[in-house]
Amino acid sequence: MTARDYATVESAMLEWAQNHGDRGVFTTDTQLQVISWNLWLADATGITPADAIGQPLLELVPSLVERGLDQAYREALAGQVKVLSHSLHRYILPSASGEQMPQRGQISPLSGNGCIVGTLTIVEDVSERVATERELRARIAAAERARVNAENASRVKDEFLATLSHEIRTPLNAVLGWTQILLQSRDFDKATVQRAIEVIDRNASAQLTLISDMLDMARIATGKVRLEIVDLDVASIVESAMDAVQPAATARDVRLTTDFEPGLPTIRGDRDRLLQVVWNLLSNAVKFTDPGGQVSVHAGTTGTVLKITVVDTGHGIPAQFLPQVFERFKQADASSARRHGGLGLGLALVRELVEMHGGSVTADSPGVGHGATFTVSLPIAPRLPASPSIATASATIPSLGGIRVLVVEDEADSMEILVRSLTDVGASVKAVTSAREALDALRDDSDTPTDVVVTDIGMPGEDGFSLLQELRKLPEDRGGRVPAIAVTAYATVDDRRRALEAGFVAHIAKPFAPNALIATIARTVGTRPA
Amino acid sequence: MTLTETQRDALVELLNIGFGRAGASLSKLTGQRILLDVPVVDIHPVAQLNESLRKVGVGNVASVHQVFSGPVAGDALLILDPSAASTLKELLTDEPALPLELDASSKEVLTEVGNILLNACIGTFGNLLQVPMSFAVPNIDIASLRSVVANLVAAGDAMRYALVVTAGFRLRDAEVTGYVVIVLTVQSLTTLLMAVEEWVVREERRP
Repeated sequence: MTARDYATVESAMLEWAQNHGDRGVFTTDTQLQVISWNLWLADATGITPADAIGQPLLELVPSLVERGLDQAYREALAGQVKVLSHSLHRYILPSASGEQMPQRGQISPLSGNGCIVGTLTIVEDVSERVATERELRARIAAAERARVNAENASRVKDEFLATLSHEIRTPLNAVLGWTQILLQSRDFDKATVQRAIEVIDRNASAQLTLISDMLDMARIATGKVRLEIVDLDVASIVESAMDAVQPAATARDVRLTTDFEPGLPTIRGDRDRLLQVVWNLLSNAVKFTDPGGQVSVHAGTTGTVLKITVVDTGHGIPAQFLPQVFERFKQADASSARRHGGLGLGLALVRELVEMHGGSVTADSPGVGHGATFTVSLPIAPRLPASPSIATASATIPSLGGIRVLVVEDEADSMEILVRSLTDVGASVKAVTSAREALDALRDDSDTPTDVVVTDIGMPGEDGFSLLQELRKLPEDRGGRVPAIAVTAYATVDDRRRALEAGFVAHIAKPFAPNALIATIARTVGTRPA
Repeated sequence: MTLTETQRDALVELLNIGFGRAGASLSKLTGQRILLDVPVVDIHPVAQLNESLRKVGVGNVASVHQVFSGPVAGDALLILDPSAASTLKELLTDEPALPLELDASSKEVLTEVGNILLNACIGTFGNLLQVPMSFAVPNIDIASLRSVVANLVAAGDAMRYALVVTAGFRLRDAEVTGYVVIVLTVQSLTTLLMAVEEWVVREERRP
């Protein structure tokens, strides 16, 4: 190969490299005049090799000076290699137009025959890498947020459990305390007994509310609540709720007032659930209003929406807590020193129930100390023929004189309440503790047939459902057709439906009001109130 | 081989000039005030580096490696433990760091920081010897300290020594500690120390 051939191949190779690089490469002499400038650079910067070659670099790309990179060239001419990261420089050469290409680079001395003859600059496009890292960072941040959310949820649950434990223990303390007093006192006056019973009753009721709220929330959370939709008169619901909170309001010296627009339309909804909504809002308002204050309820229509507004003159809601007021387990003051009891479930329940009715609920407060306003909006139903009203239990307690009741209950305390309430109104009660005993009793009593069976559902061995099945297999004269009433702590709407479908004539949830059971038995055996 | 007090003091002073330059460059680059603590200098046979660097931990380390040549030739490294490396990157760029193995941006930034610091340190030796030093392109490696040291031991057959220089970066109320390691043959080290002593004499004679 001649020197000439060698030079031809070398220049061909250089030309190829100039045109086929995946990065920008340019060289300068020691005066920083551009000696070579590849095609990649022409695409990236809009400066062609023809424009660049022979030009002073720092005049060709003035931003190098503005951004302090001229120093790197001086140091390169002194023998130093400079690497330029994307993160600290963003780019080396400005893009021709549009978005700036993210770049990294390297400036090094170019040596020949043992001395520095110029500089070599390499520029790389790092768009892909930057995008990948941005995505990776976003994913890590999302995972971190998820972790924080999970931790928060877990913390809220822990706080809730602490509150729950406290709230359940508090009424139990009163119940057990007074029970101990009653058990240990030899002689006590009637007033003390009355006081004890009132305290026990009030605290047990409070605990029942807590547990009901909690179960309702759990059922709503798992989608197990079904509404029993009927036509409803809102005024009567509000009045029922007012009646229920009146004692608490009187005790706190809080005045309750109502104001109904005339001619309120009917709405479609579940009476018990809407009563629960209004009762929750009212009892909440009473709880957070100091003596001498007032809670007023207004009901009226706006367009096709019926609005129930509960306004109180109470403690108000801090602005920063307003957005969370309907969240579960939240109370503005979650500290152990908080003044108000409760699980922080009431308003969450309200929202869930109202939304199940296709409505909405909002909270507003001008600030701490200035009261609060809760507004429930419900869609107004098209006017439908009124559904037949359901007979409510009579206020008078019927007599069950001469009625023979077979009570099946495995739990002794419940049994005692059942037997006592029924014998008090004249029923003749036979009590057994299992399905097996019940069937034996029915077979044996052909001379004095049982009028009605009152049975628990959850019992060890055979439960209330299998008792009913066995019962129906008996001959008619041996109890085969005796009506059965379920009295059970399986108290959900679904449990109720299941019991009725199985053939029970009635389903009564525990804890039960004895009068409700008596009225049901009376209805079942066709006895009229005495 | 050990350093005399005079040699050690002189090296600290020289390297501190380099650290000052590096801090100034980094401050200018990032727009925030970055200082480097006065270096602490020690000397060990290369084979003992594992022992003298055990503060950086037994796991993987980030090491920026740059070969330099001239009258004094050798290897210069900036070694950081992974958490120091990530912290330094985050403080310098405001970008959250990813696990180092995946984070090309972090590696690039650390390479640039190492490049600036090593150039400044070796550059002061060049100034001292009054000859320009030449440098190879720096590269970064995430590997165990043991393997980093093993590579350095294997690289030269002659007995080599390592100057271990503690580099404490101070920025944004935080402090990140790394180690500059300068590996020299006995011959290079002797040349360097002679130049250092001559410099001391020159400095002492100054009015």
